[in-house]
Amino acid sequence: MRAASAAVLALLLLPFAVGDFWAYQLGLLYLYAIAALGIGLCWGRTGFLPLGQGTFFGLAAYLSGLALIELDGSAWLIVLLPLAACASGLLAFLIGVLVFRRRGESGPYFSMITLALSLLAYQVANNWESVTGGFNGLKGIPGLPGLDSYTAAYEVAAVALAVSAFGVAWLYRAPLGVLWAALAHNERRVVLFGFDGNRLKAVAFGVSGLLAGIGGALYAPQQGLVTPQLCGFGLSADLVIWAAVGGRFRLLGPVLGAVLIGALTSGLRDRFQFWEIGIAIVFIAVVLLFPQGLIGIFTPLERRLGRRPAPAAGIAAPARRDPGGAAKLLVEGVHVRVGEVTILDGLSLALERPGIYCVIGPNGAGKTSTFNMLSGELAAQAGRVSFDGRPLARLATHRIVRLGIGRKFQIPSVFPALSIADNVAIALWSARATRLDLLRPRLRRWTSPVFEALVARYPFLADAGRTAAELSHGERQILELSMALLGEPRLLLLDEPCAGLSPQETAQVIAVIRWASERRGATVVVIEHDMSLVRELADHVFVLHNGSLLAEGTVSEIQGNVAVKAIYVGAEK
Amino acid sequence: MSARLSFEGLVGGYGDVSVVRGISGAVDAGEVLAVIGRNGVGKSTLMKLLFGQLPCREGSVRFEGRPVKRLEASQRRGLGMSYCPQERPVFDDLSVRDNLTLMRPDRGLAAFAPLFARFPILAQRLGQHAGTLSGGEKKILSFVRGLAEAQPLLLLDEPSEGVQWENVVHMAELIGAAKAAGTSLVVVEQNLAFAELIADRYLVIEQGQVALDGRRAEVERSQLLRYLHV
Amino acid sequence: MEPVLVAQALNALYGIASLAILALGLAVVLGLLGVLNLAHGELVMIGAYCAYVVQAQGWPYLYAVPLALVVCGVLGYVVERWLVRPLYQRPFDTLVVTWGLSLLLRKCAEAMFGLGYKSLTEPIGGTVEVLGATYPRYRLMLIVVSVLVLGALVLWYGRSRTGTRIKAMAGNPELARALGIPVRRYASATFVVGTCLAGLAGVMIAPLAPVQPFMGLDHILMSFFVLVVGGLGSVGGLLTGSAVIGGSNSIVSALSDSTGGYFCVLLLAIVFLWLRPRGIHARS
Repeated sequence: MRAASAAVLALLLLPFAVGDFWAYQLGLLYLYAIAALGIGLCWGRTGFLPLGQGTFFGLAAYLSGLALIELDGSAWLIVLLPLAACASGLLAFLIGVLVFRRRGESGPYFSMITLALSLLAYQVANNWESVTGGFNGLKGIPGLPGLDSYTAAYEVAAVALAVSAFGVAWLYRAPLGVLWAALAHNERRVVLFGFDGNRLKAVAFGVSGLLAGIGGALYAPQQGLVTPQLCGFGLSADLVIWAAVGGRFRLLGPVLGAVLIGALTSGLRDRFQFWEIGIAIVFIAVVLLFPQGLIGIFTPLERRLGRRPAPAAGIAAPARRDPGGAAKLLVEGVHVRVGEVTILDGLSLALERPGIYCVIGPNGAGKTSTFNMLSGELAAQAGRVSFDGRPLARLATHRIVRLGIGRKFQIPSVFPALSIADNVAIALWSARATRLDLLRPRLRRWTSPVFEALVARYPFLADAGRTAAELSHGERQILELSMALLGEPRLLLLDEPCAGLSPQETAQVIAVIRWASERRGATVVVIEHDMSLVRELADHVFVLHNGSLLAEGTVSEIQGNVAVKAIYVGAEK
Repeated sequence: MSARLSFEGLVGGYGDVSVVRGISGAVDAGEVLAVIGRNGVGKSTLMKLLFGQLPCREGSVRFEGRPVKRLEASQRRGLGMSYCPQERPVFDDLSVRDNLTLMRPDRGLAAFAPLFARFPILAQRLGQHAGTLSGGEKKILSFVRGLAEAQPLLLLDEPSEGVQWENVVHMAELIGAAKAAGTSLVVVEQNLAFAELIADRYLVIEQGQVALDGRRAEVERSQLLRYLHV
Repeated sequence: MEPVLVAQALNALYGIASLAILALGLAVVLGLLGVLNLAHGELVMIGAYCAYVVQAQGWPYLYAVPLALVVCGVLGYVVERWLVRPLYQRPFDTLVVTWGLSLLLRKCAEAMFGLGYKSLTEPIGGTVEVLGATYPRYRLMLIVVSVLVLGALVLWYGRSRTGTRIKAMAGNPELARALGIPVRRYASATFVVGTCLAGLAGVMIAPLAPVQPFMGLDHILMSFFVLVVGGLGSVGGLLTGSAVIGGSNSIVSALSDSTGGYFCVLLLAIVFLWLRPRGIHARS
């Protein structure tokens, strides 16, 4: 905190060191830096690339310019200028909602649409002469009331930058920021913890639009002139380059990029014809070889100076609001077909009592597909599924998870770049954190009785210093299993939870699964190949074959079943 | 006399998980090595290690005496190994005819006549996209393609999956003929009845390691059943 | 037949043909290699500038074709080998890198030719009578050449052994490798074909549009939207996509203005993105 305050002070005092003129130029770069922060947020943090931020910068600049011209000197400006920025933010959010709708990868489409948007915005600004002044733009925009000197303009920009940077830093520390980082790594997993991934991405884009809007709203009074170039491709491209070269993965990287590269560009662009070509080459080199960017140079230094965060006292998480009683799952005649392949063929099964169920069957029997169907990721063409009497058809995955269904994948899908503590926190927020909660950094210290019980068995779960990538495979399996349990689901779907584990680790996992079933009353469904594990764990076994249920019963009943023997050993007819 | 294919202490897997944890075996010319085990024990992973689709972390693979561990799949194919994978065994977008003749010098089907006699379904569907075939039919197509390559070593990963028994019997006959001509085969199978028709040696895998191995005469059915049974 | 109708029909044909030939290079690379080459528009621009250079030197226009093919071919080879190949498993990074490349190419063009518009004269001027209507010769030739190129490509891809192997590689690269198909070589060749097609399209449309460094932006977007609507798997899809995008752009632009047309295309792209992420003609 102290370092930050010193930096802000230095920022505000800068004009007295470098003189009015330079301060004024810097002020403009600070406005661009605010917009570049937004690109760092979308691209570096959340993993999608907006190629048309000029749209939002320009929109706010035009709105602000018009307001200033019409209402010069009025007190209304205090409200209208922020509203101009908010308009950009809102537009970005709405576009995010429109574009981020499908399950799965929409990265390239999103980038192309934002690109098209900025070209469209340029055309609108260019053609709508009556409002925007056409190609020559909006001229003669008065400065902010009462702030006439160069220094004053600088201070306004500096304050806006500082506030924006603090705001984004706060968002990064809040659960929202952690979820954004998780989205960049594994969106499917985030959704399977009950979060609406698409909505989170739209919020990220909205915030980036707001940041660009702040820059734009302040640009108009600072420069006095708003042209369509702001909306168009040029500024949008520059912002991406500055964010990348500065270092998109750190908060201040884009700021560094905007200020440094922006300053160099405006100085050198006319002198060296090849400056812009050089910058393009540097950009490609950064993306391919030095993704950390310029600010990456400071990272080793930071590591020496920085300290480990002191472990903070935990805060009790609110209890889950669940209907009592055992989970009831009913699957009736479900057919799933993808293209020409039938994956599930009239699958019917029922779970009514708590306990541990095992699902076995040869390759291609549809075991994992059944889980995918239950969690809403695979659409059924026919049949019904109900959970506690509620039909699950057409519910989005994150809503199904919130009903109390948890999942663990065969390949451990924790978030490798996040710390263990953050991984655990995401699981704790699952189905418990409200929308507003996601903005409160305190939530990162949540703990629950289940968590404490798990930490007692596996102390490494409380380690806030290491990232999940540093764990061994066995530890990652246990971390993911713990995360699935922390959501306190009433129906827990485990896909080969012991894959790749040593015998000791396997024994531990079995103990945890039993504990979850007996102590927490969860219904656990386990896909397993290893018959010795099935014999140890299962209260009831389902045998799947060719997408439907072949047989069910206790382990000994299954072992005696002729049809089951046949599919495993091979029949003659 | 060295075996046509021999492998020692193979260790490999995905990411940092070792699915195969030290498997050794060998197959001579004109022999079939049947690799048996329940699903998930590492049979397919073993095949990928043998063919070079996955790198070996430890161990060695020798083909006709030469170490091939460092060679990638296309190079091993050039040396004389053919492979029919378990998943996605054919090119769905291509016609049956194209699937068969893709890497042959010409599009002629004369060499396939005896194979079509056994599997008329392929001859009937020559012009159709392979994606329209059923799972078992795709397996037959893949098997015919691999067999027609007539290389010294053929690796088959669950060739009978989804195939009707009468066609499985035909496969066994064709494998027998190939054996007699000197081809070596390594066949991964879950269907014990099929394995029993063709195997000269057994390699039983459990949890990534060899649980049992031996020649046909040395191994009893009850022993094998124990590792396949539920 | 009514001359007006014939002229309209020819215009529509011209619109579809020009969009299709422009999108073809992108379709080849995206459909077969899964790579979204954001520098596609700039390759078209390079083709157009090649035509400009040829015409400025006073050479026959036809010389522009080999020039563009060589320049775009070499560029394509270099880009695939060093920028795209390391990133085949990371489609998002490929997008970013090709975007950076498009920037670089644009700046180079700016440095070499300046920002101004260059106007080329049609190599085949005048009009010709078609079914009672008069229509510019050059546009007619463009339609014919587009059909020929499209047709030749489709025939070659469908009939030749290499074409079949590339198709196999695109659908199942693991099995292709297992069968000994030289995947790396074919991927490189496919990419080069894609860039050459872009350059060729640039040569073809150069006389019909102002040639300037930023001309590529429109083309990459329109080509991309054509593929979103029409899908990646077939020529029919490409033509359908061209018809829908081109058609709606023309109609709405005529009713309001070009901005409206653009907006309509953008809206269509978003709607198709929701409904059918694979477009009308799914990969068969």
